[in-house]
Parts: sequence; C-alpha cells; structure tokens
Amino acid sequence: MNPAIAIDHLRYGYHDGTLALRGVSFSIAPGECVGLLGPNGSGKSTLLLHLNGILPEKPTADGAVRISGEAITAENLDSIRRQVGLLFQDPDDQLFCSTVEEDVAFGPQQLGLRERELVARVERALALVGLSGYGHRATHHLSHGEKRRVCLAGVLACEPAVLVLDEPTSDLDPRGRREFKTLLQAIPATKLIATHDLEWVVELCTRVIVLDGGAVVADGPTLEVLNDEPLMLAHGLERPHILRHHHPH
Amino acid sequence: MHIPDGFIDGKTAATAAAISVAGLALALRQVRRDLPARRMPLLGLAAAFLFAAQMVNFPVAGGTSGHLMGGVLVAALLGPSAAVVVLTTVLIVQCFLFADGGVSALGANVLNMGILGAGGGFLVFSLVASRMKGSRGRVTAIAFAGWCSTVLASIGCAGELAWSRTVTWSAGFTMMTGTHMLVGIGEGAISALAYLAIQRTRPDLIPELAKSAKSAKSDRHAAPRRRGELLGYGLLVALAIAVFVAPFACPLPDGLQVVAAKLGFDQRSAGTAFHGVAPDYRMTGIHSAAGATALAGALGTVVVFGLAVLLGHVLVRKTVAGSRKDPTC
Amino acid sequence: MLKDWLGHHHGHHSSRVHRLPAAVKLGAALAIIMGTVLVPWHWHGWFIAVASLLALAALFSRVSPLFLLKRLALLSPFVLGVLLVNAFQPSMRGSWLGFAARSAICLFTVVLVSNTTSFSRILGVLRSVRVPALLITTLALMHRYLFVLVDESERMRRARASRTFSPRRRVRWHMLGTLVGQLFVRASERAERIYAAMCARGWK
Repeated sequence: MNPAIAIDHLRYGYHDGTLALRGVSFSIAPGECVGLLGPNGSGKSTLLLHLNGILPEKPTADGAVRISGEAITAENLDSIRRQVGLLFQDPDDQLFCSTVEEDVAFGPQQLGLRERELVARVERALALVGLSGYGHRATHHLSHGEKRRVCLAGVLACEPAVLVLDEPTSDLDPRGRREFKTLLQAIPATKLIATHDLEWVVELCTRVIVLDGGAVVADGPTLEVLNDEPLMLAHGLERPHILRHHHPH
Repeated sequence: MHIPDGFIDGKTAATAAAISVAGLALALRQVRRDLPARRMPLLGLAAAFLFAAQMVNFPVAGGTSGHLMGGVLVAALLGPSAAVVVLTTVLIVQCFLFADGGVSALGANVLNMGILGAGGGFLVFSLVASRMKGSRGRVTAIAFAGWCSTVLASIGCAGELAWSRTVTWSAGFTMMTGTHMLVGIGEGAISALAYLAIQRTRPDLIPELAKSAKSAKSDRHAAPRRRGELLGYGLLVALAIAVFVAPFACPLPDGLQVVAAKLGFDQRSAGTAFHGVAPDYRMTGIHSAAGATALAGALGTVVVFGLAVLLGHVLVRKTVAGSRKDPTC
Repeated sequence: MLKDWLGHHHGHHSSRVHRLPAAVKLGAALAIIMGTVLVPWHWHGWFIAVASLLALAALFSRVSPLFLLKRLALLSPFVLGVLLVNAFQPSMRGSWLGFAARSAICLFTVVLVSNTTSFSRILGVLRSVRVPALLITTLALMHRYLFVLVDESERMRRARASRTFSPRRRVRWHMLGTLVGQLFVRASERAERIYAAMCARGWK
C-alpha cells in the first residue's frame, strides 16, 4: 500500500538563495495523524505548500513529493488538489466568498458538482463541522472559531483523502480548541498538522515530526519525542505541561 | 464628487454612461489580456484597499481634513486599465451599498473619476515619468498626476452639471474646479507619499522597477500594446472633454450655437453671467472671460507642477542610506 | 460618518420585502430611479405615487425608519452646494426643490433595496444579465474584503497613534502616507494568499 504522503529529499530555496528546506524526507501512512512541530522560520508552512503543488512555482517531476504514490507534476495538479485538502493559517485568506454556502460550495463546484448534488455536499460538510443552518450567513460577520470551521467545511466538501492544516488553533479560545480537536478526531482522513500547540498535539497525534532550519531533526511517536526535553529545548520547543505533571486526563 | 441621482438629466446621464461603458470595455479587454491569472484577486483587493484608504483622514487646516481618491495611485501600480476596473468596482459598491453617488449618475461618476481621473491622470503620469527619470521623477510625476486627476474629474463634473442646467457652467466650473484645484494638492501629496512607502518596502510592486528585471524579448510586444492602450484612454478623455467641456469653455461659431441651443446646452447660459462667485478669476487687462480663466488655470498648473518637483526633491534624498531626514517607520 | 455605516448589517430581519426576489427589487428600483430622473417636475402624480410606494415598502420591510432617514443626510452636501451656487443666479433659484426631491426619492430607493437584499443576490442578478465575469469577481472580492481592510487600517492607525507624540502636521502626513502605502502592500500580499487558497480548491 502506498504511503498517503511520501517526501523524498525535498529542497526549496527562496529567490535570494537562502534554503528554506534542505532535503526533507518522511512518509505518512494512510489514516495516520501526524503533528509537524518546529520553531518559527523552520520551514513548516513552506513544506505544507509543497503538498498540493502550490510550491514550487514551476512544478518539477522529480518525485520529491508523492501523494498516494503519485508524483506531483504540472499535469496532475487538479487530481492532487482533489486528494489533498489544505487549510491555511489565516481563515480570512481562505474564506474568499461573501456567504458561507458560497464558500463551502466553491471546491465542489470546481469539481463539477451542480444543483442538488452540490447543495447536498455543502449541507453535509456544514453538518460535519457543526454549522448546519449557517449557509446564508455573511462570512465577515463570523467569529474566528466559526471562520475556521467554515474553512474546514470548505475543504471537507471536496472529500480529500489527506488533510493538511497550518496552525489551526492559533487565535482560538480554549473552547474553540476543544471543539476543533473533537471535529478532527471524527474525520478519518490522513492528517498532517503544523502547530505550536503542544498540548493539543499530545491529545490528537500519534506521531510527531520536528523541523528546524529546513531539516527534519526528529521523527517518532508523540510521547517519545515530546518527553525528550533536551531535544525539545534545542529546537525552540519545550516539554508540554501535560507531560510534566501527570494529570489523569 | 459623487453626483447623486437627480442632479444630471437623462441625456447627460446617457451620454456619460455611453463613454464610460466604452472605457470599461476597453479596460476589461486589456486586463484579461495583460494581467496574469495570479494577479486577478488583486483587482478586488485593490478595490477594497481604495475604499479603506479613502477613509483615512489627512489633517488640512483647523478642523478640516482631506482624503485620497486614489485613481492615479492604483493606475501607477497596476496600470490604467486595471485602475479603471478597480475604480468602477469601487463606485458601484459605493453606489449600491452606501448610496454614495446615484444609480443614474453612475456613468457620469465612472467617467469623471475613472476615465478622466484615473485614465487622464495616468496619461500625465506616463508623460512626466518618461521625461524625468529615476525615483525623483516618478514621485514628481505621481504628485502632479494626482492633482491633474482631481482637477480633470471636477471639470468633467462641472460640465455634466452645466449640460443638465443644474448650475450654470461659470458657477459650476468656478466652484467645483476652484475647490478641487486645492483638494488636488492633497491627492497628489498623499499619492506620492504612499507610492514612495511602497517603493521602499516592496519595490517589486512598482511596475517600472519590476520591468527592468525582465528580458528585452518580452518588452518587444509590450511597448506597442501599451501605446495602443494609452491612445485608447487619451481618445476617451478627449471625447469627454469635447462633449462636456468644450461647448462651454470655447466660444462656438454661430451655426453650432444654434444647434447647441436646440439640444439644451449653450454658451448663453454660461458666457454672460461670469461675475459669479469668484470674481478674482478675472485678471486686469484681459477682456475675454474664457481667456482669463485659461490663463489663471495655466498659471495654477505651472505652480502645482513646481510644487510637485519640489516634493520630489524633498522626499527623495540622494543619500546612500536612503532616508536620513525622514522619520523611520 | 461612513464608518458607522459599515456597521450596518442586512440584519437577520425577514420581511415580505426581504423575501422578494432580488431581480424584482432591482428591476423596480431601476424603474423608479430612471422614471424619477426623467419625468418633468410638473408630473406631480408620479412623485406622489412613488413616494407612497416607497413609504409602504419601508413599512413592510421593518427596517428602522430613523435608520433610513439618517441616510438621507448624505445628500446634503451636494444639495447645499447647488443651493449656494444657484442663490447667486436668479434664473436658477426655483429649481432646487426639484433636485432635492428627485435625489431624495432615488436615494431612499437605493437604501431600501440595499438593506433588504444581500449583495450576493445582487451580484447574481448582474451575472444573469451578462455583466462580464471579471467585473463580478472583482465586485465579490471587494465586498468580501472591504471590512477586513478597513479593520486592518483602523488597527494600524491606532498602533501608530499610540506611538506618536508629535502633533506636527508634516509628521502626521508622512505617517498617514506610509500607512496607505503599507495597506496596499498588505492587500497585495493577501491577494497572493487568496490566489493560493483558490488554487488549492481547484480554481483555474
């Protein structure tokens, strides 16, 4: 069985020559939920943009990134984007339509759905994120947590096999974080989540990858990596409180 | 300067709308051809930017404040056609959502602010920037073009109001263009300051600077296309002025006078009542009212151009570091 | 004044007027406006009929009358300006009432329609009358992001004001000029990210 995501010696440099990614390699099996950690500037967001072909600007066919065994090329971008749903860091960037239902319908519309099928897909996606009935709401009037959920609905409406999320809990209040975690746990897709929220990672992910300076510095089971205090501190992270104090939950 | 419904009559609204639609069609065609797909969302965002920027108040004197119209700024950054599309978008949203500007007057408002303002202003910018090279030249060009765009728009507005017999030409021209010659100074100054700020942080957003990085091969097709584009807007600006301004500003030969009277716009309602609200427009020794206006206008233009050159010198210091005197922010 | 307008919501009122199809409302509004602009002033019947229709529609729409009347204040600069200028021209003196009345009716119509119809529906009607797609997309994006950018500009202005102690006009102009410039840069960068988000969901 092909891994859901396979990265093989991925390199990426900015226009001025600095390397953002220096030969990153890892693979993720279907159904896994993996956390991507690292200090700011480590290249997490840049890496995520490679997973649906937004980067590099001119797609190469070198097979550095494979989704379900398929290498990303200029020709198969459509099919890749159908399989990989990317949730961006700022929900305002992703919520570019004026009403909730228009925005959630955007993806399925591009996929060719119309009329009743489209409406059904939108309603199902909104139900999945607990926002049934929000269809007519204006996007700029939503709260931050609601915006993030609509973004998730918009991505889920495309029924991707792989979900990639960039800092999904930044700016969320504690209730929003808990609700989002519950939502994600209910979704069976393969998940790769870039985040600073270490407590959240412990609760959600079975495996973590730590990125620093554009390279992978750790890749293993969550508890093993996060309990390695010297490693965490060396790469701009820390051992989360939840592991320091043995709480019953 | 947004004309509400009811201040211009049917024939004026229709004529202005016809010219605007032609201009918009030209602009849309150019944008579809020239703008790469990745920059399409920028049109909508530039419109939102313009709306937000128009709400920034600049202190003028006492309690008054001025604000930006922004046509020339957007034209200098995105090109004249994108600017026409952006301004039309802004005017439509302002009209429908905020009732700023009438629905029947939409054509006239787009003509004044989009085509005369942004299009005409961009022509001035192009001309000045091509004669005065470098950063200083561009700042001068945008400051002067900003002023010109405001004045041109106000002239169009006055012409439309006179065609509709809402106000007489002399009164309307004096009031509107007189005040906007002052307001335009603010427009020019703000456009220049904003342009310079963008150049400092993201020079790649400035077309002239980004262009120099491209190869000569791609420029071969761009130059004649750009000339054609400029010619198109130049013609529309000339047409608008010929239709709405010239009949009042220039004395017509007798035959045309009769035709003009029949159609509802004529010199008689304008020429004799020149005493108007601002008698200082008349200069001693000059008898023709039109002549006096023209001379005063020309002098004003030269003065403003001088101010624009001065602004260029003040804002663009040729120091190595770039801005020793300006506050860093 | 414009700032508190931005707080205006289409509201979650639902009334008979809200529920009317957008095309009907836009068509009626257009007819009223064009008619009001074109009919001669002595056709009093038209003005009375239209004013009554609008009053009735306003009543059914359940939009606050005070809200609607406040919007009429926007007209005043132009009306006052024309009044002032024509005060010196004896030939023009009587006509200002005509301008004011026509403008007020048309303004009222637009305000009523825009407060009972969502912008998306208005765009839908424009799309169905073959307005070019590029213009529709630009309108949609502008509507979506204008509140975002206004908020951003407000935050930037507040942050600057917190660090400014010098009231000199020259410094303030420079600050505001750079604020406008930065606002454009941010809008431009956001546009790039929006493009990426659109591509990520299959846009071509």
